[in-house]
This record gives sequence, structure tokens and C-alpha cells, in this order.
Amino acid sequence: MDKNEILTRVKGVVSSVLKTDSSEITDDANFVFDLGADSMQSVELVAGFEEEFDIEMDQDRALEVQNIDDAVNFIAEYV
Amino acid sequence: MEALYHLRQKNLETIFHPKSVAIVGTNKVKGTVPHDILDGILKADFTGIVYPVSPREKSIKGIKAYKYVLDIPDEVDLAILVFPSSVNHMALEQCGQKGIKSVIIISAGYKEVGEAGLQKEKQLIEIARKYDMSFIGPNCLGVINTAPGTLLNASFAREMPEKGNIGFLSQSGALCTAVLDYARAKHIGFSKFISFGNKADISEIDLLYYLMKDEETKVILMYLEEVSDGTGLMKAARDVIEQSGKPILIIKSGRTNEGASAAASHTGSLTGKDEICDAAFEQAGILRCDNIEEMFNKAIAFAYQPAPASEKVAIITNAGGPGVLTTDAAISRGLKLAKFSEETTQILKKALPATANINNPVDVIGDARSDRYLAAIQAAFDDPDVAGVFVILTPQSMTDIETIARDVTEIAKGQTKPIYASFMGEKDVAVGVDLLQQHRIPHYILPESMCSAYHAVYHFNKTLKKRVHSMPDIDGIDKQEAKKLMDNALSNGRSYIPEVETIEILQSYGLPVPQGRLATSADDAVAVAEEIGYPVVLKVVSDDIIHKSEVKGVELNLDSAGAVKDAWNRIHENVKASMPEATISGLYVIRMIKGSEEIILGIKRDPSFGPVLLFGLGGIFVEVFKDVSFGVAPLSREVAVGMIEQTRAFEILKGLRGRNPRDMDSIVNALLRLGRLAEDFPEIEELDINPLFVLDQGQGSVIGDARMIVTTTK
Repeated sequence: MDKNEILTRVKGVVSSVLKTDSSEITDDANFVFDLGADSMQSVELVAGFEEEFDIEMDQDRALEVQNIDDAVNFIAEYV
Repeated sequence: MEALYHLRQKNLETIFHPKSVAIVGTNKVKGTVPHDILDGILKADFTGIVYPVSPREKSIKGIKAYKYVLDIPDEVDLAILVFPSSVNHMALEQCGQKGIKSVIIISAGYKEVGEAGLQKEKQLIEIARKYDMSFIGPNCLGVINTAPGTLLNASFAREMPEKGNIGFLSQSGALCTAVLDYARAKHIGFSKFISFGNKADISEIDLLYYLMKDEETKVILMYLEEVSDGTGLMKAARDVIEQSGKPILIIKSGRTNEGASAAASHTGSLTGKDEICDAAFEQAGILRCDNIEEMFNKAIAFAYQPAPASEKVAIITNAGGPGVLTTDAAISRGLKLAKFSEETTQILKKALPATANINNPVDVIGDARSDRYLAAIQAAFDDPDVAGVFVILTPQSMTDIETIARDVTEIAKGQTKPIYASFMGEKDVAVGVDLLQQHRIPHYILPESMCSAYHAVYHFNKTLKKRVHSMPDIDGIDKQEAKKLMDNALSNGRSYIPEVETIEILQSYGLPVPQGRLATSADDAVAVAEEIGYPVVLKVVSDDIIHKSEVKGVELNLDSAGAVKDAWNRIHENVKASMPEATISGLYVIRMIKGSEEIILGIKRDPSFGPVLLFGLGGIFVEVFKDVSFGVAPLSREVAVGMIEQTRAFEILKGLRGRNPRDMDSIVNALLRLGRLAEDFPEIEELDINPLFVLDQGQGSVIGDARMIVTTTK
């Protein structure tokens, strides 16, 4: 899958989980510092990515991913 | 370091007195730390401006929120970081860019969780250094300043405490909440309340210096879990006490000594970490407390009342038994009952019924109402021999507890002598106790606690506050010679330096070494004995043997050439039998000392406090009786004398039951020289002089045996 497509879909998931306008989400946005995700929402984001891309990620590694760019690269390993 | 100290002091001023505060990472979720910190600041009526910084919220509690601290249009004095540890470094970086110099980092997830957390903590320190910032924390409850001009509750404590003159510092955040709850119930107020957590940047030492100059703080309390810079803590405590006269009370947890490892020297086995901590605190003038209750019992005595001029107290009671209990408690803690003047006795005689006891302790009798208490208290205050007044009350059916409590608070006003109270019981006396506590009359459930508190204040003001810490001049030290000997001793990579070489090093520092030398043959041993005079002692010298008597390598009281030759052979046979692999360098022949007391002196290097000196009763039973004391180098003469006086050996050295008094000056002299040696040679890990033979007064002392453990890594 093309990384641009992953990026678009990742932003869609983030927008949906954090209830943020996806146009306000920059490519390097940090889930916590820039987007205000709390620990529960971090778990919800991982679940959202798994559902969106129909993949099963390593939970511990997935929770260490801190920003959009890294999430795209991490998901690219699975799709 | 000096520049960093000044930077921290400057930035601490803004931490405690900010005009504006940004709470970075706050949110709207009640019951979470990021929310409750903001809530606490608002509820405490902070006098400055508050800026919530939250990535997702436009406003919180009706206050405009900013996405980043950099978005705040105004200057910000203090930032409180409540983000998770994963992103706090980003927030701190922005604080630096914004020009914020003072920061409190509340979040956990740093050093306390292991290596990964430690790296994050180092990252915070790097950022702080880059921007000349200072921060308290991480992993802390926060900071409270009750000053009316500030009213800052930058913590997640449930409520702002009452204003008072006690400054409280704690390494544990959770303990802080318990302390605040405890204090609130007793109307104990605080000037500053600081949880410093991992102390990655600002430490308890910086905070001590800050509170030294803080006019709102009269007493400093601290809870410590680890002393990472013992030397710095001692210096800070001395400076605070000398320059401000403020007492410092510390609970240092970890009294047990499970981690003590088997040691090769007596000094090592006798010196536990906690004993060193005790000695260091005492030397610095710090009052060490065992628990929160003891700490606050003493703190309120310091904080609420004037210091007593003497140890003489008057006890006013409405019951005989409690009067006796209080008298026992007072006497056993070194206090005395004041002797009333004739005038006082006459006043009491007129004011009290015939059945009353008008001597000290004064018993105003069970049916006493407030008027009798007041008359007795006033008479006691006016008596020239009385330095402090203890009011004891038991709740009898006719006792008007509330009125008596109220009148005690009134009569205490403007007095120059302290008054403490013990309203014994719990439920019935509660109303009186509450009144006393509200009006800052120190109250104690137990008379024993009352007497201990009085003694602590008296002892601090009489002794600790006035202690001189000047370092004595010591002559006759040849450091170059000692260095040469030390280098030689260490040249073959040994960590154990045996007797002969240790004694040579001690001699270069002017310590009293025995007459004698190493002999390499039986004939040579006889020659040494003839030279120094009989009787002599022969001791095996071997790098392989630490405890000579255990291999029967010592022979005493040899009074002829024949006896020396026989002993030479016996020692060689004994060692061969018990340690055949040991290499014998020769036998040490020294003059036998008779008619002396045997003591032990030692050095042990503590990782936190540095070189520690030991003194105690010596001989082979030293580890059984453990009659020892400690002092941290450098020693003043007063501390060295104190080390001797606090042991039971002191009574023996003074000359017990007709025995001659011994030369204690020579012990003090030896301790001071050992202290200097320990400071000059950080490679000395442990050193034993056991025994030091102490001769009669004026005759000096002589080292009987000595050995040293060194490290080559310093």
C-alpha cells in the first residue's frame, strides 16, 4: 500500500478517535503533545488502526509510536 | 557549581512567588493530576494569572486555554508540567524557548522506573541547562506557598494547608498528602510545602538554602529517603543553623541495615550506614526524628513558643498521677523541676485550697476550675527559676475543659517563657485540645512527648545552635612522606596494607607509633628487643594474614633474648600449621605497653558523607560491646571531644573506681590527625587502630596495632 494512502487513512482514524479536524493534523503531529491524546485514547488509536487496516499489531511497540509519521511507517510494516 | 546554585536560588524565588503560571498539559478530566493541579491553583485563590495549556481544549473552567505554551501572548513566570513523561521534554523545550526559567515537573515515569526513565530525566536536565532553567521534580506532588501575597497551591494535594511558619520538604509525594491531612486535623500551618521528588535538578540542599532566607519560615522539616550528597547536606544544615538559627528536623527512612556487607576491619563491621547518618546529622546540628508524630511534636514547640532559657520547668496539674508521670518523663529526658521562690509559694498558698500541693509539680486538685489554673500558671511564669510551664489536665466531672483551654491561650499571649499543654484523654478533652491547637499552644497527648519536645528545643538552642565548627591547626604532618609511603604500599596492587606499612604512614601524620621495627631473623628480633628494651611483643607480618591472633601469630610480654627466640619459632610453626600458603615477611618487634586502657580508632569511607571517624572501647571484645561513636571528617576539636564523651568508655577513661584518669587529649589529637589523613588520602577505604593504648593523663598513647584497606580506583 502506498504511504500517502496510509497517511490519509491514519489521519482519518486519528480525527475520528480524538475528534479533531483532520486538516489540523500535521504529518509530524505528536499524539499526546500536539493532539492531546490521553492514555485511553492511545489504546483506542491502536485499535482504530488495526480495524482500519485489518491488521494485528504488536501492542507494546504500537503504544510506543508517538506521532503520525512514525505510525505510518509502523503500519507500513504490516500492510 | 556556584553559578548553578545562584541560578537555582533566583529561579526558586519565582517558583514560590510567580506572577503568572502556565499549567502545561492540563485537561478537563476531573480526578486526574493534570486537571486537579489547575483546580487546586484556582481554589486556593492564586493572586497571579493562570494560563491553562492543553492541546485539545479551547478553554478550561472558563479560562482561555492555549495549545502550546509558546502561544501565550504574555510573559510566564512559572510552568507546571503535567504531561506524560514521554512528551514532557517537548513541553520543557518550549518553556525554554518562551523564556520561562522556573518549572515544576509533576509527572512520574523517570528515574524511579529504571534506565529508560533515567535517560528521560537526563534529557530534562540538558534542556534546563540549555535555557538556564531550574525545575523541581519530576515525580513529585508539587509546591505550596501560603503567603497571602501569593497563595499558590501548585500541587495535587486535596486542600491548601493553613498558613504557618513551618517549611516542609519531602522526597515522597504520597507522604506529603498524609502529612497535610495530619496537619490539618491539628491546625498545623505551613509557610512553604515542597515535594521535590526525584530531585533531578533542584535538590533538598538548594531548598534548605532557600528556606534559610525565607522570612515566613521559622522551622524546617524534611522527609528524606536517600542522602545523595551527605557532605553538601551537612554544610547546608550548618549554614542554615549558623546564619538563621532555624532548626532542621529530618526523618531519614531506611534505619535498618540489611545491606551491610561483611567487612575486613573492625571499623567496617561496626559502622552501619544508619549510625553514620545519625552521627552526621548530630554533627551538623540536625534533629533526626523517627516518625511524623515525633517530628511535628517537636516542630510545633519550635514554631509556636519562645525557646526556654533553661531546663527548669513548672508542672501545673489537676491530678496527682499525671503530675508524677510528667515529672518522671521530664527528669528522664534531662529536664529539671524548677524550685519556686518563697514569693511564688506564698502566692500559690493564697490562691489554692489547703489540700493543694503548692510545690512543683503544683496540684490544683481535681475540682479545679480555670481560676486556679490561671493563678498557678501566672505564678509559675513570674517565678525566676521557671523557664517553661507544662499544663496537665484530666477531664473530671467538674473540669471546665473549654474555659481552661481558652484561658490558657489568653495567659500565654505575650509571655517570654514557653507553655505547653497535655490535656489527657481523647473524646472529652477534644474541644479543649482543638482550641489550644488553633491558638498555637503546643499540645501533646502524652506528657512524655511534651517533655521530649521541650528538651529538643532547649538542646538545640543551648548546644546545637552555638556549636563551633572551626577546624584546628595540626602540626607535625608530613603529607609528602605519607604520599611516598602510600604509593609504595600500593605499588603491588594490594588492597590490604598490613601493620608495619600502615604504622609508617600513621607516623608521618604524627600519630603515636610504638617503638620497634620489622625483624627478618630470630637474631635480628633479639637485637631489636635489646635496642628498645624488654618486655617486647612479636607479631607476624604477612600480606596474606589479616587477623594475626587467629593464626596465633602474636606473642606478648617477652622479657629475654631466649623468650624472643622461642616465640620467633612458635609463631612460624603456628602460621605454617594454620596457613601454610601464607608468605611471612618477618616479625614486627615492638615494646610491650602495660598499664593502659585499650581503645579503637578507625576510618571508614561512606559514599555519601565521605570519611567517617570511629572511636570506641577497644580490645578483642570491641564487636561484642559496640561501645562506639562516629564523627564525619573534617573534625573540629569539639566534635572529637564529643565522640569520646558520648561513649561508656568515657567513664573508664576518666578514671573509674580509683583507676588513674587516662590521657584523653592524646585521643582527641589522634582523632584529629586521622581525620586529616582520611581527607588527604581518598584511597583509604577503611583503617583500624586497634588497640590504641591510652596511658595515664599527660603520658600520651601508643598504637598497638593498625591496618588499612585501600582502593586503587580513586
